[in-house]
Amino acid sequence: MTQFRRGLWRSALAAAAVAGFVTSAAAQMELKIMAPAAPGGGWDQTARSMQQALTQSGIAKSAQVTNVPGAGGSIGIAQLVNNSKGDGNQLMVMGYVMVGALLTNKSPVTLDQTTPIARLTAEYEAIVVPADSPIKTAKELADALKADPAKVTWAGGSAGGVDHIAAALFAKAAGADPTKINYIPFSGGGEALAAILGGKVTAGISGYGEFESQIKAGKLRLIGLTTPADKATADKPSIKAQGVDIEIANWRAVVAPPGISADQKKALTDAMDKMAKSSEWQEILKTKGWEDAYVSGDAFAKILADEQARTKEVLTSVGLVKS
Amino acid sequence: MEAFTSLAGGLAVAIQPANLLFALIGVLLGTAVGVLPGIGPALTVALLLPITFKLDPAGSIIMFAGIYYGGMYGGSTTAILINTPGESASMATALEGNLMAKAGRGGPALATSAIGSFVAGTIATLGLTLLAPYLVEIAVSFGPEDYFALMVVAFVTVSATFGDSPVRGLTSLFIGLLLGLVGIDILSGQSRLSFGVPELYDNIEVTTLAVGLFAVGEALYVASRRHVHEEKLEAVRGSLWMTKEDWKRSWKPWLRGTMFGFPIGALPAGGAEIPTFLSYATERRLTKHPEDFGRGAIEGVAGPEAANNASAAGTLVPLLTLGLPTSATAAMLLAGFQQYGLNPGPLLFADQPNLVWGLIASLFIANGMLLVLNLPLVGLWVRLLMIPQPWLYAGILVFATMGTIAANPSPVELVMLTVFGILGFLMRRFDFPIAPVVVGLILGPIAESQLRRALSISLGDPMTLLQSPISATLLAIALLALVLPFFLKGLGRFKAVED
Amino acid sequence: MTSSPQRRIDVAGLVIAVILLVLAGVVWWDMSKLQILSPYDLGPKVMPIIVSGGLTLLAIGNAIGALRGDLPARESLDWKPIILILGGLACLIALIAFGGGFMIGTALLFAATSTAFGRRAFVTDFVIGAVIAVFVYLLFAKLLTLSLPAGPLERLF
Repeated sequence: MTQFRRGLWRSALAAAAVAGFVTSAAAQMELKIMAPAAPGGGWDQTARSMQQALTQSGIAKSAQVTNVPGAGGSIGIAQLVNNSKGDGNQLMVMGYVMVGALLTNKSPVTLDQTTPIARLTAEYEAIVVPADSPIKTAKELADALKADPAKVTWAGGSAGGVDHIAAALFAKAAGADPTKINYIPFSGGGEALAAILGGKVTAGISGYGEFESQIKAGKLRLIGLTTPADKATADKPSIKAQGVDIEIANWRAVVAPPGISADQKKALTDAMDKMAKSSEWQEILKTKGWEDAYVSGDAFAKILADEQARTKEVLTSVGLVKS
Repeated sequence: MEAFTSLAGGLAVAIQPANLLFALIGVLLGTAVGVLPGIGPALTVALLLPITFKLDPAGSIIMFAGIYYGGMYGGSTTAILINTPGESASMATALEGNLMAKAGRGGPALATSAIGSFVAGTIATLGLTLLAPYLVEIAVSFGPEDYFALMVVAFVTVSATFGDSPVRGLTSLFIGLLLGLVGIDILSGQSRLSFGVPELYDNIEVTTLAVGLFAVGEALYVASRRHVHEEKLEAVRGSLWMTKEDWKRSWKPWLRGTMFGFPIGALPAGGAEIPTFLSYATERRLTKHPEDFGRGAIEGVAGPEAANNASAAGTLVPLLTLGLPTSATAAMLLAGFQQYGLNPGPLLFADQPNLVWGLIASLFIANGMLLVLNLPLVGLWVRLLMIPQPWLYAGILVFATMGTIAANPSPVELVMLTVFGILGFLMRRFDFPIAPVVVGLILGPIAESQLRRALSISLGDPMTLLQSPISATLLAIALLALVLPFFLKGLGRFKAVED
Repeated sequence: MTSSPQRRIDVAGLVIAVILLVLAGVVWWDMSKLQILSPYDLGPKVMPIIVSGGLTLLAIGNAIGALRGDLPARESLDWKPIILILGGLACLIALIAFGGGFMIGTALLFAATSTAFGRRAFVTDFVIGAVIAVFVYLLFAKLLTLSLPAGPLERLF
């Protein structure tokens, strides 16, 4: 077994080395990618997919994934900022959820202390209602919310998470008081979905992927996605196009530790640029159903700053963060 | 009838040599990791996902199902032998199972757990085959108020684990409830009893608590009184196999455990812990040998083990029919499906009949394989207890810490394990029952959040608990379970007077 | 741990009651800092109030039991093995926290525990513990690609 495995390793390494030699002569990077979550979750899957794409395409000589789970990423980012300062081979996967978690957990470490590298993927939020619900459009949901926010119950993920923020933004855009929304957090995707299917709540809000098969089977009615108006398709209508001005995506990105040199930052950004274009990464995006949302460099740094400001405002308005 | 034809088609898929091999690898891997506390089947599936990417969908999903069932077996083996439940669902098994092992009856304990798992797994998989579409309708109609009522029933029945003194039992339970408060409150997003320590935000891991209280606590306790009490472990006393009497005492608990495990496992927020504790409490109440409980009663192993495995099959009901992942492992199986572009859900049975029925058929096969693998191993496992005591306990501690580190490589988690170990030691010394602490940690947060969800939906009207027929029925059962023992006792006294 | 048989008051039992009371106080204090955010939610305070109240009542119950002296009899306690085992655990925790890796820590824990249980072969047991740790490391890190806390020894593999 060990011999067989060793053989496999060796041939895999050899293949990677050859591929690396062909595609890029600078494939000497030995990257470390931290997933600030337990194995199995979205951030971990992103880290392991990056590992696969980076080594198979020869962009990096190796890429080692470590898991630092806990508190929505608060523990991982603290470790990145405090222990990896100036390490030009270290990356950390993070996402929109971490922006909110750091605020609600009153984390002493902030994202401003990290070096933003690139945004990789995004998933839009979907709002659904049970198939027999009288509500058919975003407008009708907005009207119901305006009439009495208490009677419109929302099922979604944990308090302060992207689902909660999206529901608050929807209420605000609908002209209702976002502090009065009756948002009911559930612990797992399955539990929230069951409550919606069973007609226990008025509407459900979560990533589109959570609802996809139920929508296709006609068990849930899709009200719309939080996409920009021009990104809508016939079977994925945009909420914004229906007159409720809301746009939000649950994105995933990578950041580097603080204190790295401009050269190191450029090397990491180049590696990500190359990875995002590689056929290996594109293939992974397709099989996982992740939407490509690649943005790197200063453009991503700006997105990160904007998202932090907006999230802080929403979380303050629902009382989770004190201004 | 249609189900059976499809199942036959599925069997044809599952018994292809390659798929049989995948099922075998799956059950072996599952058993191996189930043995380690902290590393459950979910984690293994998560880590193996990238490796299996290159295999064909049927083969790898069959392998994952094998890991799932295998994990359930592995967890109970360590629970019985070394009082270290591999996962939270095998906690109830540890209660009587480890006592049996210490009394030299580890053989029958492992055997009744293996056979019970097989019986329950088979019946439940049959239930999955025939009843899935109907059961899922009921499962989805369970609202927060109904879950709360179910928790009330669970609280009332688990008082059976309290031991002789209600004050001591309740003290243990409230310590568990207190531990259940630690971390971020899911409904309001605020942290409770975390004192700014980020590691505490994610709530206390049930396996960390259980392993700390059971395994570490016991090692400390036994070590502290070695000078007065040389503990002599006899690996085998009496028969290594189940006697006729053991069979007679086991078969009913197996069936009752299945009745608890399968339907509750099928509930989206049911889980595997609640049915195992309900089964334990029921067996304790119904047994004809109440004197054996607390000394190693075979019913207390047979019932929870059956419930454990039946609930594993139960969680596949919402997964396959609705695409609802209701346990961590189910969520990973879902990710496994999605990796091949398959979306479990209402359409999966229609779109991919070969795959689904192949999976169900391979569950039967995995179950059979596990029985065949495990029964001959019973003799070998039991001999583990013949390892010299210093090495045995040293091994247990290494095992317990290793599992904890692997799941979460943080020193804080180990500090918690140690603190729970000290707590377990003190509770043993001052004769507080241990199981209620774990029960409190599991049930407390669920009861709280479901009640709060129910009241949010009803805008604060408590009548919602009685308006739902399911909830009203469950609450009536709880009331009955609470009052009936007193009533029967009174009746018994009355009779005694008449005599 | 001194219980005087004449008055039959169990001091340890009273200590337990006091600890429960302190815990109830901590829960109450922590609860008082929480806020009710949603107008429809029962709020995060109710459960802590129940737990705190319950612990207070149980503290009284345990105190009464201690005063009556109806705690079960206890045997004398040997502190040495407890200190050995807890010391082994502490070493493991410290080694992981300060980057010494888990292998040495695991080997130490193994040897300390087996000494606590009466063996007098610390070095042999240390080696046995190390062998187990290496085996587990290879299994976890290489086969399951889990990242275990690494120190100088782990980097050799």
